[in-house]
Amino acid sequence: MKALVVDDSRVIRKIVSRILAPMGFEAIEAENGEAALEQLEAHGDMALCCIDWNMPVMSGLDLVVAIRKNAEWRDITLMMITAEGEQDQIVRALAAGAHEYVIKPFTPEVIFDKLQFLGLVKAKETA
Amino acid sequence: MTIPATWEPLTDEDPVLTIAQDLFTTMIDGEPGHLYAWTGEPPVLEDPSYAWVDVSGPVETRVMLVTGRTTGEHLTRALLAMDESDVVSDADFADAIGEMANVVGGNVKSLVTNPGALSIPVVTHREPDMSHDVCLLETYFGWRGAPLGVSLWAITRKHGL
Repeated sequence: MKALVVDDSRVIRKIVSRILAPMGFEAIEAENGEAALEQLEAHGDMALCCIDWNMPVMSGLDLVVAIRKNAEWRDITLMMITAEGEQDQIVRALAAGAHEYVIKPFTPEVIFDKLQFLGLVKAKETA
Repeated sequence: MTIPATWEPLTDEDPVLTIAQDLFTTMIDGEPGHLYAWTGEPPVLEDPSYAWVDVSGPVETRVMLVTGRTTGEHLTRALLAMDESDVVSDADFADAIGEMANVVGGNVKSLVTNPGALSIPVVTHREPDMSHDVCLLETYFGWRGAPLGVSLWAITRKHGL
């Protein structure tokens, strides 16, 4: 599965990509919403987009809206990963079409649990 | 100047320490206990760098992080899971401490009512001129023995860097 990690921070892109790799995701990175749209055009089989809110050029919220306007991308799961933690912003993101919302700081377990809830990864096997 | 009531809870260092400890526990140390309140005189930071985000609103507010170069490099390595022997580039250093300011600033913002938008992080080697602004809180934390500072400012006059 391919995942697009959209954040203007290279550090966060690296961290999220590193978290997603053992879950079976091939991470592709974009530094803003506009670059993300270019990557989505180039890769037709994206399963997941992890999206920051505050980015130059095009914000994460604008990116969510743009993705949801394109019927070809309707199956992509959208997960906001952002330092913006106010209730009204969470509501705005979900109303725009995001499936999940993760507030920074986050742990790998939080990301895993969200993706498991969304059905993108299977539960860890226990001995 | 009168400070809006909405920011009053954050003039106490405890909520900011809690936010910072959450950041360090989850993304830097992987376990609690390594970030604590600095006691005693404010420390002198060697070769400091400044990272901040601004929150727009009735009073524009700035959340600023300051760290010495060596401490910042250790933080960058911890965030990126780099080896201690790895060289930290200026780009990774600025990105790492900028993101730390972003996370602290975003969580500080979520504690107040009716805040505005959060800016993109700014990182500089030169201390920004805050002489016309009001310091709401200035506190230092210790991380594995090294100090780093967090301050909260009400910006009363727009200024250049």
